[in-house]
Amino acid sequence: MKWLLNYLHKELWSPYIAGALLGVVGVLAVLLSNSLLGASGAFENIAGLIGKAVAPRVFDNMYFNFIMPPGITWGVILLVGVFFGGMLGAFSSGTFRWRLISDEKWSKVFGPQVWKRWLLAFLGAIVLEYGAGIAGGCTSGLAISGGMLLAPAAYLFIAGMFASGIVTALIVYRKGY
Amino acid sequence: MANYAIAGILGVFFGFSLNKAGLTKYSKIVGVFRFTDLAVLKFMMTALVVSMIGLYGLRGLGWIVFPTVPSTYIVGNVIGGLIFGIGMALTGY
Repeated sequence: MKWLLNYLHKELWSPYIAGALLGVVGVLAVLLSNSLLGASGAFENIAGLIGKAVAPRVFDNMYFNFIMPPGITWGVILLVGVFFGGMLGAFSSGTFRWRLISDEKWSKVFGPQVWKRWLLAFLGAIVLEYGAGIAGGCTSGLAISGGMLLAPAAYLFIAGMFASGIVTALIVYRKGY
Repeated sequence: MANYAIAGILGVFFGFSLNKAGLTKYSKIVGVFRFTDLAVLKFMMTALVVSMIGLYGLRGLGWIVFPTVPSTYIVGNVIGGLIFGIGMALTGY
């Protein structure tokens, strides 16, 4: 019991144990509410909701009407839970801080400018979400949730993600790779 | 309503496991693309294997019916994956 409590307070778990926990969560999602875990779809649901209110003509298309209908979906609630779960994890290990640059490694490689980190994160996130929209899911929604149902799409996506991710990292880091 | 409560609770565990695996850190995500830290891969593959065993086992028992499987459209999946990887390596999320 003591050991378990100590482990809960540890900052980093073995990725195998954390991964197994996510695996169980994935099974429970299907068992309890017949849904798949996902993150990127929820952003599209919310984007659709906002878009329909602000510019209904622009958002009146196939994608937002049928493929990703706007609304507070299961995935949106899940994402809220993810936010608090991540916070809980940080609190449990005492690493919760307000930071403008979340990682020391970032400032070591790219310099201490805050705007640079935020700009790159923002632009990268647009690219990321766009890619997820085309592929039909993100790392969790397609790669893990699709992969556990043995959907070929998931493995194609994983291959593509690593191929371009490695090349991008090579370009971004150049000599420091 | 119960469905939403389940979503919220599962979400907390989802976020908790991501945080504990360190996947909320920029260096971990980029590390996998630089081959300096394979935590992302270990995490993903363990989750896949565990849930695969669970889901196929439960289906074998007749407890669950699989939800809609993400559709495969080869070109879209690969191109989407390629674009996604660029974004992932840039943001580190």
